[in-house]
Amino acid sequence: MVQLVGSLRKELADSISTCKILVVGAGGIGCELLKNLVLTGFKNIEVIDLDTIDVSNLNRQFLFQKKHVGKSKAQVAKESALQFCPSANITAYHDSIMNPDYNVEFFRKFMLVMNALDNRAARNHVNRMCLAADIPLIESGTAGYLGQVTVIKKGMTECYECQPKPAQKTFPGCTIRNTPSEPIHCIVWAKYLFNQLFGEEDADQEVSPDTADPEAAFLNSLFWFLWGYFLITAARATASDKDGDIKRVSTKEWARSTGYDPVKLFNKLFKDDIMYLLTMDKLWKKRKAPTPLDWHQLENKCPKEGTPASGLKDQQVLDVWGYCQLFQHSVETLRSQLQEKGEGAELVWDKDDPPAMDFVTAAANLRMHIFSMSMKSRFDVKSMAGNIIPAIATTNAVIAGLIVLEGLKILSGELESCRTIFLNKCPNLRKKLLVPCVLDPPSANCYVCASKPEVTVKLNVHKTMVLTLQDKIVKERFGMVAPDVQIEDGKGTILISSEEGETEANNSKFLSDFGIRNGSRLQADDFLQDYTLLINVLHVEDLERDVEFEVVGEAPDKAPPPQTNQEEVNSITNGNKDSAQPSTSSKAPSEDDDIMIVDSDEEDGAASSSAAAATSGTKRKHSDAETGETSTKRPRTDQSAADNNDDDDIIALD
Amino acid sequence: MIEKEDPVISEEEAAQYDRQIRLWGLDAQKRLRGSRVLLAGLGGLGAEVAKNLILAGVKGLTLLDHEQVSEESCRAQFLVPVTAQGQNRAKASLERAQNLNPMVEVHADPDRIEDKPDDFFLQFDAVCLTGCSRDLMIRVDQLCSKHKIKVFCGDVYGYYGYMFCNLGQAHNYVEEKPKVVKPSGESNDGPEAKKAKVDPNETTMVKKTASFCTLKEALEVDWTSEKAKAGLKRTPVDYFLLQVLLKFRTDKGRDPDPQSFPEDSQLLRQIRDDVLESLSLNSDLLSDDFISYCFSEMSPVCAVVGGVLGQEVVKVRM
Repeated sequence: MVQLVGSLRKELADSISTCKILVVGAGGIGCELLKNLVLTGFKNIEVIDLDTIDVSNLNRQFLFQKKHVGKSKAQVAKESALQFCPSANITAYHDSIMNPDYNVEFFRKFMLVMNALDNRAARNHVNRMCLAADIPLIESGTAGYLGQVTVIKKGMTECYECQPKPAQKTFPGCTIRNTPSEPIHCIVWAKYLFNQLFGEEDADQEVSPDTADPEAAFLNSLFWFLWGYFLITAARATASDKDGDIKRVSTKEWARSTGYDPVKLFNKLFKDDIMYLLTMDKLWKKRKAPTPLDWHQLENKCPKEGTPASGLKDQQVLDVWGYCQLFQHSVETLRSQLQEKGEGAELVWDKDDPPAMDFVTAAANLRMHIFSMSMKSRFDVKSMAGNIIPAIATTNAVIAGLIVLEGLKILSGELESCRTIFLNKCPNLRKKLLVPCVLDPPSANCYVCASKPEVTVKLNVHKTMVLTLQDKIVKERFGMVAPDVQIEDGKGTILISSEEGETEANNSKFLSDFGIRNGSRLQADDFLQDYTLLINVLHVEDLERDVEFEVVGEAPDKAPPPQTNQEEVNSITNGNKDSAQPSTSSKAPSEDDDIMIVDSDEEDGAASSSAAAATSGTKRKHSDAETGETSTKRPRTDQSAADNNDDDDIIALD
Repeated sequence: MIEKEDPVISEEEAAQYDRQIRLWGLDAQKRLRGSRVLLAGLGGLGAEVAKNLILAGVKGLTLLDHEQVSEESCRAQFLVPVTAQGQNRAKASLERAQNLNPMVEVHADPDRIEDKPDDFFLQFDAVCLTGCSRDLMIRVDQLCSKHKIKVFCGDVYGYYGYMFCNLGQAHNYVEEKPKVVKPSGESNDGPEAKKAKVDPNETTMVKKTASFCTLKEALEVDWTSEKAKAGLKRTPVDYFLLQVLLKFRTDKGRDPDPQSFPEDSQLLRQIRDDVLESLSLNSDLLSDDFISYCFSEMSPVCAVVGGVLGQEVVKVRM
C-alpha cells in the first residue's frame, strides 16, 4: 500500500528530509526556490549570495522587506524562511560561490545543486564544480515573462557549456567614436567617457574621434592614396598610438589640467571634437552630419525657468539646455567625489550612484542630439546603460516551482524523466505555456566536459601579450577563475601561475617571446574547477578590426547566428551579467559589458570586465540592453506566431 | 462599481516597482494600482496568488476564508505563522501578506463565501476563487460575468492543478505581433520579393477581441455530441480528473486527505467510475494512477499554478 506524507510517497519524503542541497543565489529565483524547498519538506539547505538587498528587489524577492535594504540577501532569506518553517536547517553564506573555499569537497556534501544565478561567469564556474564533484545541477533563468529550467548531469546530459552561447553584441570603435546612429552608441560612449575622466582609463574605451576609421580615408585615387599613405603614416608614427589617435596627453590628464571645468569639457567634447569629425567629410557623404553645440549660445537662448514638469522625474525628457545643466552639475559632483578620495583616485561607474547616472544621461543625450537622435529620459538611459532586465514575481515563482519538481525526479532516481522546460509568454500553437524538451547528451567536442577538452585559438603571437591570454582568453572566454598555463614545449615552461605575483613579470611580454608560434600547444588548468584545457595556437597575421583573438569553430562576433525563439529564450535567460559582481557591490571594478540579450533576476551593476565573456576578444566592448516598453524594436519573444519553426529545434512533448 | 481614480505613481512606488514598470510600462502599473481583487481560499494556492497580486501592486486585496488554521495549513503555506493554529486562516495570513507590500490595502474576511450576498462581489474588479465548491464557483461566475467582473478559479490537488478564467463575452486586448513588411509594388527580383516579409525584430500591437465561455459551459460539456467526441482525443485527461475531484469536494465537503488515504482512495476510484459513466465515457479513460498523486497541495505545484493564475489576473488588470 502506498504511504503518503502530505502529497509525497513516504520514501521520497524521507529522502527529501535528510538530503543536503545547495542553492546558489538568493534573489528573484532564490527567494521563491527557498520557500518551495522548505514547504516541500527539504530540511538541510545551504544558500549563498554575495549581494545585499536593494529597494528595486522588493517587487519580487518577497522574503525581503523595506527594512532589510542593505543587508545580506542570503542571511535575510534564511531568517524569513525560518519564520514559516522553524524546523528547517538553513546555512547562509554572504559570499561569492567563486571563492576558492567552495572547492570540490564542499560541493560533494550535497545531493543536488540548484542555481538561481544571473550571470554567466558564475554559471560556468558552478557547472565545472558540479562536473568535478559529479553532482546533479539544476540550471535556470528568467527574464521578464520568459524562463527556463534544465538539468545537468555529468556523462548523461549536456553541461552548461556544451553549446556555445550566442556571441555578445559589440560595436566597432569607429561607430562609438565617429558615427553613432543609435542611442545605445551614445550611451556606450558616455560610459567610456566616465571612465576616461573619472575612472580607470582603458585603451579599449577611447572617446575621441578615430582618424584611423577606414571609412574616413581622405584620398581615393591610387596615386593620391599612396602619396597620402606615406605622409600620414609618417605623421602618425610620430604623434599617435596604433589607433590613429593624435594623443599626446590622456583625456584624464587634460581634464585635470582644466580643473574639470564643465564648460571647457563640454566645448571640447561637444563642439571641438564634433567639428573635427566634420572635417572627415567622407563619413558624412551618406550620413547626416553631426551639429556641434556651443555652451554659451545654448545658455543665451534657453527659455527661462518654464513650468516644472509633473510626473516622475526620471521619466521626463529634458531639452538640450537641461542636459547641459545636468552635465555641469554631475561633473562638479563627480569632481568633488574624486577630490575627496585623494591622489590617484578612480571612481567606478554604478547605475545606482545618482551623479554617475546623471553624467551618463547628460553626456549620452547631448551626443544623441548632436547626431540628430531623439533624446531619452533618464529612465530609458538607465535601462540601457545599466543593462537592466525587467523582472516580475510570477515568472520566478513558476520557474522555482519547476526547479523543485525536477529536483524531485532526480531524488526519486528518475533522471531519464528530467527535462528542459521553457516558459513562454503566451501559449504556443499547441496551446502550451510550458514546453518540455528531452535533455541532450553531452557534446563530444565540449571544451569543458569532453574527456580531454581542446580548443584552437587564432591570434597573432607577436602582438598578443601574456596578460591578454590570461585575462581575455583563459579567464573571460574560457571561464577559468585562477588559471595556471604552461607551454607544452617539453620543458613545461610556466607562462601564467595562479599564485599571485609569481608570473607578473610575464604579463607585458608577447607570446612569441616565449617561443610560442603556429602550432604551439598550451595547457591551461584551473585547480579549483578541476579543469584542464589544451589550447592549440593558430598564428595569423591579421584578424578583423578590433578583434584580438578568435576561437576556431565558432560564429564570428559581429552578429549572432539567426535563432529560433527557443534559442533566443535560452540566451535571454542565461545571463546578461557576465561577471559575478553583485549589483550592489561597492568594490565592483569597471563596468559590465557585452550582453547579448537581457536576462534574469538581478541586473548588473558594475562588473569586472575581465570576467565578461565574449566569443572573440574584441577591443571595443559596450553595453547593450533591452530597453523595455519604450523601444520600438524588440527581440521577438512571443512564441505564438512562430511555432512552425520550433519543431526543428526542440522536441516538444505533449 | 469601480472608482474612476487616476492614481499617480509616487517616487516611492516607482522605485519599488521599477523592474516591473520596465516590463509592462507605467500606464499598466497605474491601472493595476486602481484594481480591487477578491481572493477566496488561503490554502497553498491562495497564498501564492495573494503574494503575486500584492507584490504586483494592486489597490486592494481581500482575503476571504472561513477555515481555521490546522497543522497542515502551516506546512502548506508561508503566510500563516506556526503559532496560529485554531485561528481563522484569512486573519492569520493578514500580517505577513500586508508586509509583502505596505502600499496595498489588504483585508481579511473570515466569513463563508457561500453566505455572501450578491452585492458583496460587485465591489471588486476581479474575483479569484480557490478551494471553492463547484456550485459556488458556477454561481459566482454567472453573477460576476453579468456585471463585467473578471472571474478566475484554480485549485491544486497533489501534483495536479488547474486554472480557469472568464473574461467575458467580448474581452478586448492587444497582442504583440511581428511586423509584416509589405513588398514594394514593382520588383524584378522574382516571386520571393513580392511576398510580405516578417521582420523578426519589429513588432506591432494588434487589437483583438476574445469571447470566453462560462464555467458552467466549460464543466458541462455533452460528450455524446459529435463535436465533443471529435474533440475528446485532444482533451487532456486532467479535465476529467478535475470533474472527479470537484465531485469529491462536493460529496465530502473537503479534498482527499492523506490521513484518510485508504478510504479516500477507494472513494476516488468510485467517483471516477460514476463520473465517467454519467458522461457516457469509457471507464479506462482515466486510469487508477492519479489516485495516489492527488492528495494535499504540493508547494511547487502551487507555485506554478499560482504564478500563472496571478499573472493572468495582473494582465487583465493592466
